[in-house]
Amino acid sequence: MPVAFAHRTLWFLALATAVAASAPLRSAAAQERTTVGGYGEAQYTNATGPNTPGQATLRRFVLYLAHGFNDQLTFHSELEVEDARVEPGGTAGEVEVEQAFLDYRLKDWLTVRTGLVLVPVGILNETHEPTTFNGVQRPGFDTDVLPTTWRELGVGLLGQLPGGAGLSYRVYLLNGLNAEGFSAEQGIREGRQEGQNASYANPSVTGRLEWARPGLKVGGSFWYGGTSNGEPSLGTGTFSAPVALLSADARYDRGAASLRAEVANISVTDAAAMNAAFGTDVGSRIAGGYVEAAYNVLALLARSSSQKLTAFVRYEQYDTQASVPAGEVPDGALARRITTVGLTYKPIDNAVFKADYQLLRNRSAVAEGEVLSLGIGYQF
Amino acid sequence: MRHARSITIALVLWTARAGSGQAAPPAKLAASIKRVFGAGARVDSVRVDSTAVLRVSRGDSLLGFASVNNVIGKDQPITFLVAIDRDDRLKDVDILVYREPYGGEVAYEPWRKQFRGKTAADSLRVGKEIRSISGATISVRSVTSGVKAAVANLTRWHRTGVIQ
Repeated sequence: MPVAFAHRTLWFLALATAVAASAPLRSAAAQERTTVGGYGEAQYTNATGPNTPGQATLRRFVLYLAHGFNDQLTFHSELEVEDARVEPGGTAGEVEVEQAFLDYRLKDWLTVRTGLVLVPVGILNETHEPTTFNGVQRPGFDTDVLPTTWRELGVGLLGQLPGGAGLSYRVYLLNGLNAEGFSAEQGIREGRQEGQNASYANPSVTGRLEWARPGLKVGGSFWYGGTSNGEPSLGTGTFSAPVALLSADARYDRGAASLRAEVANISVTDAAAMNAAFGTDVGSRIAGGYVEAAYNVLALLARSSSQKLTAFVRYEQYDTQASVPAGEVPDGALARRITTVGLTYKPIDNAVFKADYQLLRNRSAVAEGEVLSLGIGYQF
Repeated sequence: MRHARSITIALVLWTARAGSGQAAPPAKLAASIKRVFGAGARVDSVRVDSTAVLRVSRGDSLLGFASVNNVIGKDQPITFLVAIDRDDRLKDVDILVYREPYGGEVAYEPWRKQFRGKTAADSLRVGKEIRSISGATISVRSVTSGVKAAVANLTRWHRTGVIQ
């Protein structure tokens, strides 16, 4: 099966290359262009309770490097340092290439994208700069349910659907997840391969459809793939130990007010066999979502100002053991409810100062608490 | 005859490339002019400062002017057309070449049509007169400021007789 799949992959790549090569280059008109940019965020968090001192970290420091070869062919990349430094043998901090891909634009409705790409699922995964979302930390949902920043290696097609309906699509063939990394607390998160010697034993297919209007964007995404990665008890087929993810999201703004919401459902069909094989307690269904409302109070206090001071409230509810295999007992502490209230101050569009307060609750009412967070972020 | 005329227009448009280097494919530019001003319009090209300006007419009557411009999005140039009518009102905006990986929604008609009827005297602020699109905000800001500058230039050149 893996051999047969490899042939199909090569065929697909060959087709993509042939299609790309047949498009004429307008080298006379094109100018090459290299761009350096970046974004980053520093965070201070302080949880309530005894012996919980505040903690500060340079959460992300990202260099963005892009190059336009001509009107059709562009390269985009992000090189990231997490938590400021990496030591040999240490477990804290990471240095990682978060994106590195070539776009070959053939038509407005067809671009071929290849390399290490962002999985087109949800809002935060593809748009994750700290100036684009409220709250110091990303929503817990976008960590524990949708595993942002989720990036894998492969090839995809994307573009705008003709006819002016405001629809755009992305469809990618990427390496799959590895079930050995799944966990009760964070679902599929540590099953990501992140571009490092990624196994193609189980490929995945993922895609997204978006509909946009001024002030409104609605999106739906899917991800489907096998995750057995050669583990005999999970099967050796291309789509053995399948995981199926469906998500939907919406962003709306009008004047000073804005709303956004994300929901997702992840089915882990063979969770019982995974838990037997790896000694884990992975849920057979992972589900949840959040809604967030925000209002720029400077629209009331200083009408002529171009600065923004946004007050927001977000309510998240998700459970990484929304269902468990027969005979297993779900852990109520994983059925989480997080309420976040906070302020986002943007003197300009590309620099942000944030403060928020989170109430962490769960169905079992164990280890609940509150967290105060302060942060800064930038993008250029 | 008709064929010869369209070749002439294509040649005019080919020489009417944007000043700052990035060009629009002539066929795409010709289609854009046709969509905005209607079929069979005559197009003459003049260069003002570093901008390619198109004078569009039919018979003896002036229909308006258009210019081809570039702004930088997140990292790549966005090549776009701005067209005004003979009374200096914004007729339309068209995205000719978009090169960024995300944010192509600025080419959507419902977003572009927010500009129609505006003049150089109108305020064009993102989030106020011009609504944004989530996930495309960098392109939205770039194109909006580019449109504002282009309309201001075309209007000034028209009123001072640089183009007529």
